[in-house]
Amino acid sequence: MTRIERLINLIIALLETTRPLGAEEINRRVGGYGQDNYESFRRAFERDKDELRGMGIPIEVRKIDTLDEHSDGYIIDKDRYYLPDLNLEPDELAALRLARDAVTNGRSEADRGLLKISVDSRAAPVDGPQVAWGDDIRQPALSSIYEAQLERKPISFEYERASGERTRRSLEPYGLVNRRGHWYVVGNDTDRSGIRAFRISRIQGEVAVLDGAYDIPAGFDAQSHLSAEAYEIGEQHADAVVRFDEALAWWVDQNLAAAPHSRNADGSVDVTLPVGNIDALVSWVLGFGSSVELIAPPEARDSILAHLEPLLERQNG
Amino acid sequence: MAESGGRLSKRLERILTMLPYVIAHPGVEVTELASRFDAKEKDLVRDLEMLWFCGLPGYGPGDLIEVSLDGDRVSVDMADYFSKTLRITPAEALALYAGGSAVSSLPGMEKAEALQRALAKLGRALNANTGEESPGISVTLEPGSPAHLEGLQEALTNKTGVEIEYLSASKGELTKRAVEPWGLIAAHGHWYLVGLDDRSGEERMFRTDRIKSVVVTDNPVEVPSEFDPDAYTRAFSGRGSSTLTIEIPPSVATWFEDYYPVTAAETLTDGWRRITLVAGGERWAATLIARLGSDVRNVQPSGMLDAARDLAVSIAARYN
Repeated sequence: MTRIERLINLIIALLETTRPLGAEEINRRVGGYGQDNYESFRRAFERDKDELRGMGIPIEVRKIDTLDEHSDGYIIDKDRYYLPDLNLEPDELAALRLARDAVTNGRSEADRGLLKISVDSRAAPVDGPQVAWGDDIRQPALSSIYEAQLERKPISFEYERASGERTRRSLEPYGLVNRRGHWYVVGNDTDRSGIRAFRISRIQGEVAVLDGAYDIPAGFDAQSHLSAEAYEIGEQHADAVVRFDEALAWWVDQNLAAAPHSRNADGSVDVTLPVGNIDALVSWVLGFGSSVELIAPPEARDSILAHLEPLLERQNG
Repeated sequence: MAESGGRLSKRLERILTMLPYVIAHPGVEVTELASRFDAKEKDLVRDLEMLWFCGLPGYGPGDLIEVSLDGDRVSVDMADYFSKTLRITPAEALALYAGGSAVSSLPGMEKAEALQRALAKLGRALNANTGEESPGISVTLEPGSPAHLEGLQEALTNKTGVEIEYLSASKGELTKRAVEPWGLIAAHGHWYLVGLDDRSGEERMFRTDRIKSVVVTDNPVEVPSEFDPDAYTRAFSGRGSSTLTIEIPPSVATWFEDYYPVTAAETLTDGWRRITLVAGGERWAATLIARLGSDVRNVQPSGMLDAARDLAVSIAARYN
């Protein structure tokens, strides 16, 4: 009997059993094992379990009573094995096809997933928008963390900051966010107790899934812990006024419509922004070159000049 | 027959995905299965014949899966446990959900509302154990003006040209250009219009939030057959781009490497980081250097410093 037949028999036995099966019993009863040597059975069985779990088949371990000792038993929980019926309307399935066809990096995963939802999914590809994810979408840490998040299991991992410093972090993952093209996990950092965001591509090695369980606070918004502009984050609490030249007034209308703004006689627009970090504000304003001027607070104007000083000195020297 | 690693699990996955369909459609033709499941007929027949030896422990006549192959027609019986498919894995759900959230962020998407409904159903299925609807994934993309996006989508659908007013980062000014649109691509947190820029005669990417206006023209557009969205997995891979190397302190590196298209980074002995990034033109590089102020050293090519100095002078004039 080939290994794939043995794997299929193992799935069937663990799906259809009403009680967890012990290892001895699996060796004796499941077609394809029947090894005289327990050690070689055990090696084959471990390899098979890993293979099936790697495919997403939820083999669970439960304690069982054998005659006079406790040991591990194995079973597949039907509720977790089968895909629940999504009851998709035809237009919803068509929309998911569009989502699948939009994925460039990660297409095969999206394709396999949609094929499970509907065997009619392999219609002609839609000529729609495309999403080019970075390589972090393929990083095993991302899907491991997502699995832990769905199961509400705490995790730990080795994290490298941009400074090169490495630390072991423990986290209850609350949500995944893609921002500026990078994937982040946002969650409760249990060592430092507080909500923290970690960039997936800075996670080194494998993610360990820990024992325990947690709840995600109702209405938790992972994006709000990341989506702010850098100048909004901080403790300085000031209202800044930023003047955009007439040539950029349209940009304000289009991208900063929610902020209070007023139009000047020369066509320029003054926008008031809540600021937490003056240095970050200075950097943001300079990003617009000479078409944007920082009006208030006055000390921020001084910061602009101080910031440019090394370059201005270069001219004098 | 030794099969291992990815090949074995792919084959097993194909069998588990195909069986519910065969069970629900007794007498289905192998040719139909081959096209639906994207496999060779002889491989599918081999898969089905193998199932003869599989079933419930005991493996007697009432325990084994019954497979009948009659010419080109197939039926499978006695395998109720395989009448529904295996759940979606977290990696598959993530790929689908992330793609769906990105696409539904585009204003003017015809299918956006149906997509939202589908994603909510997918979210409920993923959270079967907690009963929550949110799948816990969000994607932030800045698409710019909905009206412009609708114009671009219209041009892409009808395969016609557009004229745009565009705030060019490399020149720091508003430019007018005619573009033959090839596609809309999300990369690096933004939506881009990709197409042939008539002004330069080259393929270019335009960030949609920097587009001031869109006029759809009647000029017919032919998307070149070699246009490959996969090539944009790394943004800013366009032709004619040059690189910039700078050194920045660790305190700046943390946010900098999240914001800019860094292609290489290394830590130096004093803790500073040497960063290489794709430069979007001289004006772009000058702005970047001005933003960094005293937090930058060893700029290469050093000629970029002259442009940065000129920019600094024109900015400082507004503050003196």
